[in-house]
Amino acid sequence: MTRNAFVGRVGMAAVLALLLGAARGRADETCMSPYMPKITGQEDYVYVWTLGVEGVGDGSDKLVTIGANPTDTAHYGKVISSVSVGGRHEAHHAGFGDDRGHLWAGGLDDSLIWVFDVAADPAHPKVVRTIDSFVKDSDGVVGPHTFFALPGRMLVTGLSNDKDHGGRTGLVEYNNDGKYIQTLWLPDKAEYGYDVRVQPRLNRMLTSSFTGWNNYMTPLPKVMANPEAMKHIGSTMVVWDFHARKPIQTLQVPGAPLEIRWALQPRHNYALTAAALTSKIWLIEQKDDGTFAATAVADIANPKDIPFPVDVSLSADDRFLFVDTFMDGSCRVYDVSDPHHPKLVHTQKIGSQVNMVSETWDGKRVYFTSSLLANWDKTGKDNEQFLKAYGWDGKRLTPLFAVDFLKEGLGRPHIMHFGQERFYKNQIYSGETARLAAAR
Amino acid sequence: MTVVRAFACVLLTLAAIPAAADDARLRAADPNELAYTYGVGTFAPDYTPPPPGSYALPPIDTVTDHALLDAEGRSTTLFALTQDRVAVVAFVYTTCAETTGCLLSLGVQHRLDRVIGADPNLARRVALVTISFDPERDTPARMAVMRTFHAPQSEWRFATTRDDAQLQPLLADFDQPVAKLRFEDGAWTGLFRHVLKVFLLDGQHRVRNVYSVGFFDPTLVLNDVRTLLLEAAGERAGG
Repeated sequence: MTRNAFVGRVGMAAVLALLLGAARGRADETCMSPYMPKITGQEDYVYVWTLGVEGVGDGSDKLVTIGANPTDTAHYGKVISSVSVGGRHEAHHAGFGDDRGHLWAGGLDDSLIWVFDVAADPAHPKVVRTIDSFVKDSDGVVGPHTFFALPGRMLVTGLSNDKDHGGRTGLVEYNNDGKYIQTLWLPDKAEYGYDVRVQPRLNRMLTSSFTGWNNYMTPLPKVMANPEAMKHIGSTMVVWDFHARKPIQTLQVPGAPLEIRWALQPRHNYALTAAALTSKIWLIEQKDDGTFAATAVADIANPKDIPFPVDVSLSADDRFLFVDTFMDGSCRVYDVSDPHHPKLVHTQKIGSQVNMVSETWDGKRVYFTSSLLANWDKTGKDNEQFLKAYGWDGKRLTPLFAVDFLKEGLGRPHIMHFGQERFYKNQIYSGETARLAAAR
Repeated sequence: MTVVRAFACVLLTLAAIPAAADDARLRAADPNELAYTYGVGTFAPDYTPPPPGSYALPPIDTVTDHALLDAEGRSTTLFALTQDRVAVVAFVYTTCAETTGCLLSLGVQHRLDRVIGADPNLARRVALVTISFDPERDTPARMAVMRTFHAPQSEWRFATTRDDAQLQPLLADFDQPVAKLRFEDGAWTGLFRHVLKVFLLDGQHRVRNVYSVGFFDPTLVLNDVRTLLLEAAGERAGG
């Protein structure tokens, strides 16, 4: 290329970059950190962070890789690999780092963290780092829960503390090499923690609240029957100045608000969550003055039955909210086009119990797992443990495949994340267009 | 996406496709598939950043010195370019087609340059460094063209590396993943997959912030720079 031609291209590109200054990207599995590359199209793998069960397989917590690409008939709906971390640690949540090549996974009981390399061989993740100093590093935070990628860093929420194993807790930052950076304790009168999500466009971070080690490591019936224990349940959400890492507003959201889902579309300055114990969908919306308001916008099933909404997933176009209710093992799909007035459009029984839900970036597939916590899962014949895949056509969920995690000798499946060979081989995509792209 | 934006996106992709790439195959791809960074896209901040000095920027990491080539082709080092100043260091390649990648990075650095250049206090104490991670094509001569195009008004340096062997330790030290993006038959598209990262270094070469698509905003970066300068002034005053 000649010098002039090069300068011309650079100039044209720069001008057009400015033209595109307000353009928005899209999210993939819609609850991921925006600070990482996305995977488009068909996922090849579902990584399932799984709790070990005594007498089931090796009894240890493990990362299980399930084949999810129907063109790979030999592995579709099958267990491809399983990497055990040894022992039971109350495996719960996991999240990719900013390069999407490393998956951080935590144990809520003893606060161990494992970092898996999924990029080198996406079908066979390997443990490359273990962090066993989380409590010490953070000066007392217990129970690493959400792993949210920040550029060069990993933001980890805690659920408890080492002083009284109650609900007072904080957020902990590490760099990508596992070096501790800082701890941010939740503010007074809003000291419980659970999930964290950032909306960079607004420089706002939201945290939600659950309960401490004393409760989440105790069988659920005992907790529910103990009025004192039930007093130690989170009922707040905190709005943070993300850049300054400072709490600026506490919102009252009774009944353990759990997973946070910021809306993804431009000018949608709101987030949705579900309160587990009060069984309500809450809208966390920015007001004209820049502050936020929390409003209960819908009941989920009959709250008196304590259906226990656990995980939620918001579609990339902000239209559908998938809500899993643990007690009745069902997924309810709400049309939240008007987030002030969610409309129930579909209900699907998934199993005797259901916990996590994860929608693909293209909105065509939805995955479910069954386990909530080792001590909170149902018992006897209702203790089904599965990963189930469904198709979603905008109206109904249709079964695709299921993996029985007990028959396979694996354990209790919890959070899911997606992997793709093309992505990790740095291959360009072949023109597959997503529903969202088509809609634009 | 509006029609204008879609048109601009296509033009941008065509404009920035490297000459060495298989242009026909790239043009057949959906431009959206080249925009592999998702989330909130090119970022139009809808907030007022916290004021300088009202928050802390704890060290994230420390980087070491690395050999570079300046835009004249002379051997230099990273620290020779930053001169122990507060520095904003960006890794780019000049033929990037990612609208929320290098083009955004260079655009923000350009705006930072104008503000810093107009403020003698900042100009004396802040450096901007743009380093290519494409030594094969981004020769010193090409980096010089970039410098000519941007016509820096502050201490904004453009650099590249001699070869991949010199580049890789630098990228690893900064934790800046970069990979050649390939067609399914393994042929290089001429593009790289790289998560946009721009690094704020203090005078001790410690990484104090890492910016990405979601919050690489000139006003916010300048507030961070001023926060570090206030911190340094406080340390000097405190002995």
